[in-house]
Formats: sequence, structure tokens, C-alpha cells
Amino acid sequence: MAHVVLQDLVKSYGGFKAVNHVSLTVNDGEFVALVGPSGCGKTTTLNLVAGLTPITSGDIIIGERVVNDLDPKDRDIAMVFQNYALYPQKSVYKNLAFPLQMRKLPRDEIDKKVKEAARVLDMTHLLERKPRELSGGQQQRVALGRALVRDPAVFLMDEPLSNLDAKLRVQMRSEIKRFHQDLKATIIYVTHDQLEAVTMADKMAVMNGGYLQQYDSPAQVFAHPVNMFVASFIGSPAMSLIPLEASTANGNTVLTGAEGWRLELSPRNAQKVVRATTMKVVLGARHSTIKLHKSAVPGSIPAKAYTVEPTGDVTFVQAFLSGAIVNVSVPPNIAVSPDEQIWLEFDQERMHLFDGETEMALKAN
Amino acid sequence: MSTIAETASRAPTRRRMRVDGWRWAGRIFLVFMLLYTALPMIWMLITSIKSGFAATQFPPQWWPDEPTLASYQKLLDPQNSVGQDFLRFFWNSLFVSTVTTILSVIVAVPAAYAFSRFSFPGRNFLFFAVLLRNMFPAVIFLVPLFILMRAIGLVNTHGSLILTYLTFGLPLAIWLLKGFYDNIPVQLEQAARIDGATRFQAFIMIVMPLSTPGIIATAIYSFIGAWNEYIYAYTFLSKNEQLTLPVGIQRFFSENTTDFPGLMAASFMMSVPVVVLFLVLQRYFVRALTEGAVKH
Ligand SMILES: Nc1ncnc2c1ncn2[C@@H]1O[C@H](COP(=O)(O)OP(=O)(O)OP(=O)(O)O)[C@@H](O)[C@H]1O
Ligand SMILES: [Mg+2]
Repeated sequence: MAHVVLQDLVKSYGGFKAVNHVSLTVNDGEFVALVGPSGCGKTTTLNLVAGLTPITSGDIIIGERVVNDLDPKDRDIAMVFQNYALYPQKSVYKNLAFPLQMRKLPRDEIDKKVKEAARVLDMTHLLERKPRELSGGQQQRVALGRALVRDPAVFLMDEPLSNLDAKLRVQMRSEIKRFHQDLKATIIYVTHDQLEAVTMADKMAVMNGGYLQQYDSPAQVFAHPVNMFVASFIGSPAMSLIPLEASTANGNTVLTGAEGWRLELSPRNAQKVVRATTMKVVLGARHSTIKLHKSAVPGSIPAKAYTVEPTGDVTFVQAFLSGAIVNVSVPPNIAVSPDEQIWLEFDQERMHLFDGETEMALKAN
Repeated sequence: MSTIAETASRAPTRRRMRVDGWRWAGRIFLVFMLLYTALPMIWMLITSIKSGFAATQFPPQWWPDEPTLASYQKLLDPQNSVGQDFLRFFWNSLFVSTVTTILSVIVAVPAAYAFSRFSFPGRNFLFFAVLLRNMFPAVIFLVPLFILMRAIGLVNTHGSLILTYLTFGLPLAIWLLKGFYDNIPVQLEQAARIDGATRFQAFIMIVMPLSTPGIIATAIYSFIGAWNEYIYAYTFLSKNEQLTLPVGIQRFFSENTTDFPGLMAASFMMSVPVVVLFLVLQRYFVRALTEGAVKH
């Protein structure tokens, strides 16, 4: 096992930068999830680490070696591909044996390791089958098995669960997590499913448009998104982002909505707003941090319920504020009907404030 | 076919009649095509086992009164001058076609792979330049190629034919194989490289076995093209001992016009390698044409 360092990594296709000055360190034994929307450069980053795509500039270090110019086979990595990439002409046994054969292990040792991996992944009875005779979930296991018969320095996984149905995905998720705990393996795991990232990873790297946006533990990323992109990408349903106008009157900082309502900020939040580059400020609030009232209470903001979605556990109520949709969750026993007048109260401790110009999170100090 | 089946399933009873109508039309057409291609072959075979006299009788004997393999014996007998010639022509054809096939596979495989996998400057231009050659009828190149071959001293050698056949066969071979490589996911090679293979090993161990049907189809295609070719062989070669089968048979029997059974026996034996090749490998050939051409 080893740590992985990306230093100022760039990959250009012509003038287009698919990976843009990405730097991050994956510690030995860490499970890092690479998340972001489609086309943000996740696969490209993984391929750079694997050596399948030549880097444009920057450095990749695996263990103590700079591997920039090493062939994939010399980087001591294993990879699970999004479409599994099982060798169609080989049986499951031979698929698992192939990486060991290429490393010239003695035949009896190969046999032992293949059987062991098959036992761990519960597919001993499948060894003689061809990949096309397997179900999606079984193919996925074989792909995983092919990675873990060797014990490489780093595991790279590119959306390994995206082709599975919801139930199997949950099951495989815990299997991979288990596998990480047992092996203390260093894993870089690409996904666009933020729930997968949050539940499995020690750290998550959020990417957008080739840039690394934030790299931190899932809890930190959730609690302290560095910018509006991360705030809206992580969490489900997405954080509500409401564009407002800031102003100061006799010592108090106030946010004004497009409808004319005013929200007086706590001293700590007022401190943040002072740091904004413009008077445009975006208020971010997760559904669970907004209280819904049926009558006006001090500090609450009037709104009209737009849609009401009961899900069983909670009911989601959407309302328009300042041109943005605000998502609020309420206990199912509170009945709200569309077009009903409601009052929303924001939790000053748990709200997020963003600079309307730079879209960066505003900090108190 | 699929559209017919789909409409049929939507309106099962009313369309049933029409489907059957089409099916019968198709069957009749196929029977007609079968007769059209098979009857001359059968007649060739029947004539080849007649005596010289029986072959010229009118009305013809549908089945010879005294079937004989004499023509075959004569053609395959190395003691006899006819046999010597025939066997030499056969050997010449086999040599030229086999070398053409081997060379064309050796060149087409890496070329097609490169066109499919690598992006390099002028890639599209080169690919269409390769196909451009096939837009002209072969005879157009007869005179220029003859002059060229004379200039480089290849006239009256089998080399001139092999070179010429390659220029005809390669473009299509490359095109056919490229379609095949396009359909093999690049991740398979990437997986192999991560599993410890070099790029070349990944190609040999993973990609090559998967493209065997395509390679076999390419080989059959080159072989048949070279085996049957007449006009270039007729133009480039003049020495009797170098002739290939199509030219040899034609020349030999214009000197012995009456020996129809001999001519038919020779023609039949000439078609044997192609038919055998095709029967043995047709499975691959069909797969190559459908898989290589159609994107999934
Ligand atoms: N070979 C290439 N040539 C040009 N552009 C490319 C190439 N490969 C990828 N790109 C571009 O780089 C960007 C990042 O691609 P990448 O495959 O890394 O996305 P991704 O984050 O993995 O997306 P997804 O979640 O859809 O798999 C995309 O805009 C893509 O179009
Ligand atoms: Mg991807």
C-alpha cells in the first residue's frame, strides 16, 4: 500500500483542459471518492493516475516514486473499469489469473490466489463460465476480483457500481467498504453518485469543469461547502440557494429579498457579509435547517407553498423566495396544501452565505 | 425483416397474409438464385466426368452413359505434359494467392489497428486516400502498372502480381478490419496493460484473439481475389511455366479446343480451394461482415 500525490496535474485536449491544475494527496490506506457531474474530468484524472493517458504537465507520485513516465504495468495499480472490461474470450478463472500470469507467478501459486479470491467474492461456482454468461452483478464481482488477486499499491475504481440496479448497488457498496477495511487498501473511487461517496469514503474530492473544488471529509464537505457549486452538488435534496441584497442600517446587517421582506442577520453572519465583494449575497440553507410555521413568528419570512411532496418519512414543501426554489422538510403529520400561506424561519447557526459575485462561501474571519 | 416482423406483431391477423406473401416471394427468389448459381456448377461437374465424345453430343446426355474420371487422372498425372502444366499452374496460383494473403494480413492488421486506435495528423485523409483506390475499375491501372512493373524489372515475375493484388485487396481489408477494431472496447486493452501487459502484448493477447473472425474474413477475401484474378496475370506474365490457373487454363484449352471434359475438370478443381476455404470458415466470414460493419 502506498500514498498517492497529484501535483498541479493538467491534461489538455487541444485547447481544452479536461483536468485543470489538480493537486491532492491520498494518504496510505485512505478511501478517496472523486465526485462531480458528468464530463468534469473524473475518468481522465483516474486514467492519468493509471498511466493510460499521458499527462500534459504536473507530477504523479505513487509510494515514493514519480510515475509520470512509467507504463501502467509498472505503476503497481489495479483498476476496475466502469464497463468492467472483462476479457470476453477468457473464462472467469483465466480473467482472474491473467494479471498473475503476466507477473510470471508460478502456476500453483496462481491457482491458490485465484481460488482464494473466488472464495472471498463467493463465485467459486462461476470460475468456468465466460463473462457473457454472467449477470451484471456477477461480472462486477469478477472485475473486482481481478483487481484484488494481486495486492497492488493503489486501487482505482471508475464508477464500478453504476451499471447495477439499486438493490445490488447497496449490497456491493458495503462489500467494497468491507474490502477496504479488511485490506487497509488505498482506493481512489470515481462516482457521480454523491450518496455513494458520502457513505463509503474517508475523503471526497469534488470536481467541476476540470477543477478540484473541495477536498475534505464527507462531513466537512457537507457542513462547510467552499462554494455554491459544492453546496448544491452535495446533499439531497440540494441545498436551497436564495439570491439576496445585503444592506447595513444603524449597526444591523440585513438581507432583503426580491419580494421586499427583510432578514436581520446574527452578529456572526453579519461579520461574514462584510467580507463579500458586492452587496449581492446568496443565502444557502438545507431543507432540514428551515422551520416552517403556519403563522408569523418573529424573524420568519412569508412565502406561499408551491408543491407538497409527501415521501412517508418527511414531507417536502417547495416555495419560491426571491426567484429561487426553497426546499423545506416537515414532519408528515403537518399538513400543508399548495398555495397555502406559510412562514419560513432560517437557522442562523446553520445557514450558509455566499458571495454573489465569486460564488465562494463567506467566512467570519 | 425486422420492420416486417414489428408491423406483423402490431396487427397480427390482418398482416399475417402479407407476411406469408413476402416469405414465399423470398423463397422463390432464393430457389431461383440457387438454380442460377448451382446449375452451371453441376453441369460443369457432369461434363467433367464424360468422355470427350459424349460431351459434344446433341441432345446432351443428362447423365453420362459411361462416367469416367479420365480427365482428372490426366490433369493430376505428373508424367503427362497436360498434368505437368496443370499442376504447375495450380502451384503458381497457390503460391501467388497465399503470399498475397499473408502479406495483406500482415499489413492490414496493424494498419487497421492504427486507424482505429491512434489519432495522428492526416488520419482521416489517409484513410480515405486508401479507399480512393477502390473507386476506380481495375483495368484503368493496367497500363500504368505494367509500365511501372517494367521500370522496376518485375514483369514476368510473380512479384508483380503479388504487388498488384495487394494494392487492390489491402484497402478493403483495412477498412473491414478497422470496423472490427472499432467495436472492441479500448478498455480491454487498458485493463490488460494495467494487469501487466505491454501495449504490444495487450494487442497480441487480448485484441488479436477477439479479431480473429475479422482477420479470417480479410484473409479469405484476399485469397479469393488473388486466386480468381485474370487480366493482370494475363498481361504481366508471358512465360508458360509462370502462368496462374485462370490464364493457364484459358491458354491451354484455346490450343485444345475440343477437350471439354478436361476444361471442366480443370475448372472444377480450380474452384475447390475457394469453396473449401469458404465452407470451413464461412461462420467467421459472416460474423465479420455483420459485426464489423454494424455499430452496437
Ligand atoms: N480523448 C479525448 N479527446 C478530447 N476530449 C476528451 C477526451 N477524453 C475526454 N475528453 C473530455 O474531457 C472531459 C472530461 O471527460 P471525463 O471522461 O474525464 O469525464 P467524467 O468526469 O469521467 O464524466 P462521466 O461522469 O460522464 O464519466 C469531457 O468534457 C470530455 O469530453
Ligand atoms: Mg467517466
